[in-house]
Amino acid sequence: MSVSTAPETDREVSTRELISPDIPWELIVWNDPVNLMSYVSYVFQSYFGYSEAKAAKLMLEVHTEGKSAVAHGSKEKMEAHAVAMHGFGLWATVQKGGPRG
Amino acid sequence: MARAFSAGRRGITGFLEPAERDLLRKLFTDIITMLEPDTPAHEDPLAALIGLDMDVSVPVDPALLRLLPDAVKDDADSALEFRQLTERSLRETKIGALRAASLGLESEKLVLNAEGAKLWAMALNDVRLVLAERLEIRDEEDAERIHEVQDWGDADDVESYLSLVYNFVSWLQESLVQAMLSGMARSK
Repeated sequence: MSVSTAPETDREVSTRELISPDIPWELIVWNDPVNLMSYVSYVFQSYFGYSEAKAAKLMLEVHTEGKSAVAHGSKEKMEAHAVAMHGFGLWATVQKGGPRG
Repeated sequence: MARAFSAGRRGITGFLEPAERDLLRKLFTDIITMLEPDTPAHEDPLAALIGLDMDVSVPVDPALLRLLPDAVKDDADSALEFRQLTERSLRETKIGALRAASLGLESEKLVLNAEGAKLWAMALNDVRLVLAERLEIRDEEDAERIHEVQDWGDADDVESYLSLVYNFVSWLQESLVQAMLSGMARSK
């Protein structure tokens, strides 16, 4: 991701979240050097309804880790999210979830 | 010179010079042309209704691929199947946002509600993705290098001209998104 106002941050981001074992699909958003950090935060807040803090945490995870699982649920739901992310210009993929690491 | 977008009671407002409008209109139009499908909508009315397109294939142009990326990684068959079901409507979504933004350029002062601002941000983002592909921005270092090109007096070749355009559109999008975020924070 790209930023034009704020300096790089090296903040440690906690990535663990509880996921229910019966909803095994996840939506991965991938980092790229083009999308603005502010825009990615905006998309996470406005589309998923995430709080500013959660959106910022996921955005920084994409930025520093290269990707982040930003939503979990049924395959159909994750596919709909992927199309929406592509509409916004973020690159997202759908995959079967599993033990994260 | 364009002024940064700002959020106020009437929505988000912005101001662009005529030359900047002309530039953006051209960029929006170019990308609409890229996104218009090569093949007409499916003749089978049911297939057309659900947006199914069996003729679709992975874009050859890397910039178009960036606009219409695979939704499944490391599985070409699943990715293609997904594309057949969704690509046509994704193209239409993007064209819709680009057309809305282009139409907004007709009035002297831009005044956007939340939905209009979203469409503008999407359109500017697609412009940046295409320019970034043409400028071969592959990582953060490339992005930094392009970001340093700031002087229009240096626009003596295609690459530096495109870099300046990219930086202008990036600045505009950043300013718009900051106004959108402050508008969202205010409405909470």
